Amino acid sequence: MPIDYLPILVMVVVVIAFAAIALTFSALTGPRRPNPSKLSPYESGMPPFGSARRRISIKYYLTAVLFILFDIEIIFFYPWAVLFRQLQLFGLIEMAVFVIVLLVGYVYIWKKGGFDWD
Amino acid sequence: MIPLNFYLILAAALFCIGLFGALARRNAIGILIGIELMLNAVNINLVAFWRYIKPAGATMDLAGQIFALFVITLAAAEAAIGLALVIAIYRSRDTVNVEDVNLMKW
Amino acid sequence: MDLIVFYLFATLAVIAALGVVALRNPVHAALCLAVVFISLAALYVLLSAPFVAAAQVMIYAGAILILFVFVIMLLSPGVDQGAGALKWQRPLAAVFGLALAVELILVLASAVLPAARGQYTPERLAQIGDVQAIGALLFTDFLLPFEITSLLLLVAMVGVIVLAKKRVRS
Repeated sequence: MPIDYLPILVMVVVVIAFAAIALTFSALTGPRRPNPSKLSPYESGMPPFGSARRRISIKYYLTAVLFILFDIEIIFFYPWAVLFRQLQLFGLIEMAVFVIVLLVGYVYIWKKGGFDWD
Repeated sequence: MIPLNFYLILAAALFCIGLFGALARRNAIGILIGIELMLNAVNINLVAFWRYIKPAGATMDLAGQIFALFVITLAAAEAAIGLALVIAIYRSRDTVNVEDVNLMKW
Repeated sequence: MDLIVFYLFATLAVIAALGVVALRNPVHAALCLAVVFISLAALYVLLSAPFVAAAQVMIYAGAILILFVFVIMLLSPGVDQGAGALKWQRPLAAVFGLALAVELILVLASAVLPAARGQYTPERLAQIGDVQAIGALLFTDFLLPFEITSLLLLVAMVGVIVLAKKRVRS
């Protein structure tokens, strides 16, 4: 029932309120005496160069794409795990077929070097 | 109890916004995001129909929810393939703007 | 009470969806998409479909959206500049979108939909468990679609490797 989810709503409200209060309170009470070195992005660090909008190399993007395809399985594994005893051998066989087909894909990715870093 | 029509109208609104996004964007990732919105609108319809309307047979009772789960699976596969296509296009043409990918045009 | 929750999350979803299509910076659009996904999860809870809501948060907000953000960061498509080669693309897209919206709303406003419900009422589902009921159907009557899903995922894996894997220079 929707009312059972009230704790989640309360948590969301608390999170937003905490962020809002922390930000406004520090903005209101903190002293503000800026000088150039304080305003630099990395105080006592190296000076930034270039735009922050440039491309970021994400070598693991292929892993991320493949992660999605394996992540999906929780939708099916979870009800299966809940019903494991009730489904008995039949459930085991159907899940085995499902997993074997996916394992074929896993082995294919592995052989093709989908998990290599470079 | 909220009338079923409210959910359907919300889904229609989201679907149309997604359609607009898919048609109006020129960058391929934006188009894929519009398609995700449309798939989500369909999911609302499926779950809302499950909740409100009696289906044909007893075994189809939960079909709406199960279809929604299949749509989510499909959306993930679609996003993976779609984004892989975008990356492949970017590799060969150095752009994700669909207007610049016009080699197949006569 | 239900109606307030519905209006809250429906408005949030529509506003965020408008943000998704209207904001020119793709990262902002993706963040708006997260708001859409999570408001829809709240609406699924309101429809007493908690498992779909959980799947929505885990798969859509947790995985698909992250993938979109990754690819946006990887390719950095930049902001959508004004009109390109097709000057009428945006207005025409708006016309098509609005036409479909008007059509759907006209149909829905006049539609009379029966309110009877099947065997699994929310009360009954809460009794036997949402996940149990879904699983019991998924692994019996929906066995074939379930097994075909694994093939779909296999095809997607092969496709991703073929399309996105860097060719190794030999």
